Amino acid sequence: MSSWRSRSQQSNSSRISDEQINDLVSKLQMLLPETRIRNNDRVSSAKVLQETCNYIKNLHREVDDLSERLAELLETTDMSSSQAAIIRSLFM
Amino acid sequence: MEAESSTSNQQRKRKRSVSDTPDKPAQSTWRTDKEHRLYSSKLLEALRRVRSGSTLPRTEPPRSRAIREAADRALAISARGRSRWSRAILSSRSIRLKSNRIRFPVPSRPNRTELVRNQVADREKKKSVVLQRKARVLGRLVPGCKKLSFPILLEEASDYIKALEMQVKAMSALTEILSMIGGGTEGVPGPVQESGADTSTTSTGINSLPPPA
Repeated sequence: MSSWRSRSQQSNSSRISDEQINDLVSKLQMLLPETRIRNNDRVSSAKVLQETCNYIKNLHREVDDLSERLAELLETTDMSSSQAAIIRSLFM
Repeated sequence: MEAESSTSNQQRKRKRSVSDTPDKPAQSTWRTDKEHRLYSSKLLEALRRVRSGSTLPRTEPPRSRAIREAADRALAISARGRSRWSRAILSSRSIRLKSNRIRFPVPSRPNRTELVRNQVADREKKKSVVLQRKARVLGRLVPGCKKLSFPILLEEASDYIKALEMQVKAMSALTEILSMIGGGTEGVPGPVQESGADTSTTSTGINSLPPPA
C-alpha cells in the first residue's frame, strides 16, 4: 500500500484524502446487512472493513455449502428433459 | 440434449432482447432481474456440463469443488469484464485458491519510526496502519485484489459482495427447485424473502421465483 505511506509522509504521489476514504467506507457500509441497521455515524472504518471481511467469508461459506448440496442433488436427481424444461422456465 | 440446448439458446436470446432495459448505473447491477436470469442460465449450463462431464468416481469433495468453481466462473462471466475480481477468476482457474493461500510474511507496522517522530499525527498513523492491515485481509479475500490501492479495493469489494449475494440467491433457488423435483416436497416455501444476505441455513435463502414463461 504505497499510496497509504506516501499520504502519511505528505509526499506528492497519489494522495487519498480522508473524505474519499470515509465516502468509500460509508458506501461499503450500506452493503453490509448488520451495519446498515445500526446508526451510520458511530461505525468506524476499521469496523466496516472487519465486517466486510467477515461478510465475504460468510458468503463464501454459503456458496460452498450450496455447492455441496447441489452436488448431492445433482447426483440423486435424474434430470429428464421435461424437468430440465421446468427448471429453465422457472429461471427465465 | 443438443436440441434442448439450442432451443434454450433461442429462448435465452429472445428473452434477452425482450427484457433489454436501458443502461443502469453500475451501482444497481447484480440486483436486477435481468442479471439474475442471465446468471441462472449460465449456472444451469455450467452445472449440466459438470454433470455430463463427470466420469470421476463419486467422491463428494471434488464434486462440490467442481460446482463451486463452475458457479464462480459463471459469476465471473456475468460480470462481462467490468471488474478485476472477475477477470482474476477467469484467468487463474487452474491455479485456484490453493496457491493464493501461500502466506508471505507481511510487516504489520511499517512506520515505526514515524510513530515516534510525530506525536500529533500519532493517532492518525495508528488508525491508518490498522486500516491498512484490514484492507490487506480484504484484498486477500477478493480474487485478484491483493495489491490494489484502497479506493479501488473498496470498489472491487462492493461489486464482489453484490455479485456473491446474487450467486447465493441463484444457487439457493436452484437447490430448492432441485430438491422439490427430486424429493417431491409440497410446493414452494411460503414466506418469500427479499433480503440480500441470509447467513442462516441455505434453505431459507430463497428469493421470489419469476412466474413460469
